[in-house]
Amino acid sequence: MIKILVIDDEEDIRVVLRQVLERAGYDVSVAPDGKKGLEVLAEQGADLVITDVIMPGIDGVATVQKIREKFLNTRIIVISGGGNVAPLEYEPGAIATNAYLASAENAGADRTMTKPFNRQELLDAIKELMTE
Amino acid sequence: MLLLIHAALMPVLFFTVATAVERNLTNAFLDDARHYARVIADGLETMYFETRREPVMERLDSAILGGRSVYAVVVYRDTVVASSLMDSNEIDRFQEDFEFGEHGDDIYYLSLPVGFESRTGILRLGFDEIPTTEHFEIVRSTIVYSLVAYMLLVLLASGYLSSTVVRPLKWLQHASRAVSSGEVDKELRTKSSLIEIQDLTADLEKMRSNLVGINAQLQREIADRELAESERRNLERYLRHAQRLDSLGTLAGGVAHEFNNVLQPLLLYTDLALEDLPDGSPAVQKLNRVLELANRATGLSQQILTFGRQEKDAEFELLNLTPVVEEALTMIRALLPATIDLRADIRQDIGNVRCDSAQIKQLLVNLCNNSFRALSSTQGHILVSLKEVIVPRKMANEHPNLRAGEYVVLQVVDTGVGMDKKSVERAFEPFFTTQAIGQGTGLGLSVVHGIVVSHDGEIILESEPGKGTQVRIYLPLADEDIQEHNGKRDPDD
Repeated sequence: MIKILVIDDEEDIRVVLRQVLERAGYDVSVAPDGKKGLEVLAEQGADLVITDVIMPGIDGVATVQKIREKFLNTRIIVISGGGNVAPLEYEPGAIATNAYLASAENAGADRTMTKPFNRQELLDAIKELMTE
Repeated sequence: MLLLIHAALMPVLFFTVATAVERNLTNAFLDDARHYARVIADGLETMYFETRREPVMERLDSAILGGRSVYAVVVYRDTVVASSLMDSNEIDRFQEDFEFGEHGDDIYYLSLPVGFESRTGILRLGFDEIPTTEHFEIVRSTIVYSLVAYMLLVLLASGYLSSTVVRPLKWLQHASRAVSSGEVDKELRTKSSLIEIQDLTADLEKMRSNLVGINAQLQREIADRELAESERRNLERYLRHAQRLDSLGTLAGGVAHEFNNVLQPLLLYTDLALEDLPDGSPAVQKLNRVLELANRATGLSQQILTFGRQEKDAEFELLNLTPVVEEALTMIRALLPATIDLRADIRQDIGNVRCDSAQIKQLLVNLCNNSFRALSSTQGHILVSLKEVIVPRKMANEHPNLRAGEYVVLQVVDTGVGMDKKSVERAFEPFFTTQAIGQGTGLGLSVVHGIVVSHDGEIILESEPGKGTQVRIYLPLADEDIQEHNGKRDPDD
C-alpha cells in the first residue's frame, strides 16, 4: 500500500486530508510541523509527502530540503494557501507564498498546489506522481 | 532752439556791424573832406583876392579836378567866385552840412574861413557823398550775404548734428526707457556715423541682451522649478497611491491566504459528507449548494490574489497581442447584449510582449464589463484599441512604472457615465465599486491592476463624470523584439 505523510499546521486540513486519502486507499500518517514530519518520515518512511509551505519552526521549504537529503525517491507535493503571510499590517517585506512555492520546487518538490483544491485534483496529482 | 537764437541775433548783428562800418566810413569821409578843404584853403591864403581873381578860380577848378570836390566856391564880402567847372545855377545850392548825408542832396557841404591878406573870405566846398553811400550798400550787402551764408552753415551744421548726434541720442533714450519699462525684445541699433554714439549703442545693446539672457534664464529656472515641483507632487501622489494599493494587496493577500486555509477543509469535508450520505438524502442538495458557494468563494479568493500578486510569472510567453485581443473581443461580443456598440481598432503590426494570454483576456473582459455597466443607462459605445507607442521621457518621469521606450498599449474607452475624482483614485482597490450593492464584486479593476503589475506594465485611468472613462494598459515591448525591430529598421533609416 502506498504510504503518504501529510504535514500541515492546520488540524482541520490534516484530518480532512487523512480521510480523503484513506478513502482513496492510501496508508496515511500526519504531522503538525516540519520537525515532527521528518521524525515520522524517519520512523515510518513514506512514498509521498504532502506538506504545507508556511509552517512554524521548520517551514515547507526547509522540510523539502531535509527530505531530499535522505529520501531521494520520496515524491513531494507542496501545498500553499496562496497570497502572502503578513496579513494584518502593511509590511513591504511581506513574502508572497508563490515565492515559497518556487523555492520549494528548487529544493526538490515534485509538484506545488494552491489551496483550495478539490478532492479529484489532489487524487489525480497523486496518481500521476506515483505512476511516473 | 539754436536756430531760433541765431535767427533773433541776425538783425542785431547786422545793425551793429553795419552801423560800425558806416560810422568808420563816414568819419573817413569827413576827415578826408576836412583835410582836403584845409589843403585847398592853405593854397588860397596867400593870394590877393581883390586884384587877381584868376588864380583863385584856378585853385577852385583844381579842387574840382582833383576829383574830390563837386562844388568849390569862395565868398568874399558880397563877391562870390566859383569854379569855372560849375554851372552858374549850381552856385546857390550851398547849404552847410553838419553831418554826413544831411539835406538828402547827396553832397556834403562845408565852409572854411580863408585869409586873403588882412581880409577874411569863406571857402565853400561840396563833396560827393554817393561813392561813400554806395560803399555803404556794398558793406551792407556783404554783411547780409555773410550772415545768410552763416545761417545756411548753421542750418547745415545743426541738421548734421541732429542726424548724427541728437536724433540717435533721443532714440537711444527712448529705447532705454522702453527697456527699463520691460520691453526688452527689440535690438538696439544706430545709423549714426559717430563712433561715440555707436559705442554707446553697442554698450546699451550689450546690457539689453544680457538683461534678456538673465530674464530668460530666470524664467527657465522658474519654469524648471515649477515643473520639478509638479513632477514631485505627481510622483508623491503616485507613490501614495501605489503604496496604498500595495498595502491593500498585502492585506488582501494575507486575508486570501487565511481564507484559502479555511476553504480547503470546507470543500473537502463537504465532498466527503456528500459521499457519506445515502442516495436521495434531502441533505445532498444542500451540501451541493455548500460546494457551489465554496467554489464561488474560491473564485473570489483567486481574484483577490491576482490583485495582490506583484511578481512576474516566469511562465509568461513571448506573444503578439493582436490575436489574443481579437479572440477576447469575439468572446466579449458574445457576452454583451447586441445593443452595445463595441468598436475595435486593432493594429496588426505590433511587436511582441511577454505575457500570459489568459490573463490579458481576463483583463480585457473585466475592462469591457466595466464599460458595459457604465453604458447601461446611456447611449454610447465602447472602443477597444491596440497599438504600439513610444513612451517619452516626460511621461516616464510621471509614471515610475514606465520607462522611456516602446510599449504596446491596449486601450478601452467608453462614453458611459464616468467616475468622479475620488472614485478614480480608489478604482483599483479591491471591493471598491460604484455599482449598487449586490451588483459586481468591486474586484474587476483590482484584478486588472494585479495583472498589469505582474506584467511589469502600467495602467492609466482617466475619467470624467458624464463623459466616460478611458483605460490605457501599457505593456513593455519584449527586449528581444525591440532588438529585432531595430535590426529591421536600421537599413531603412
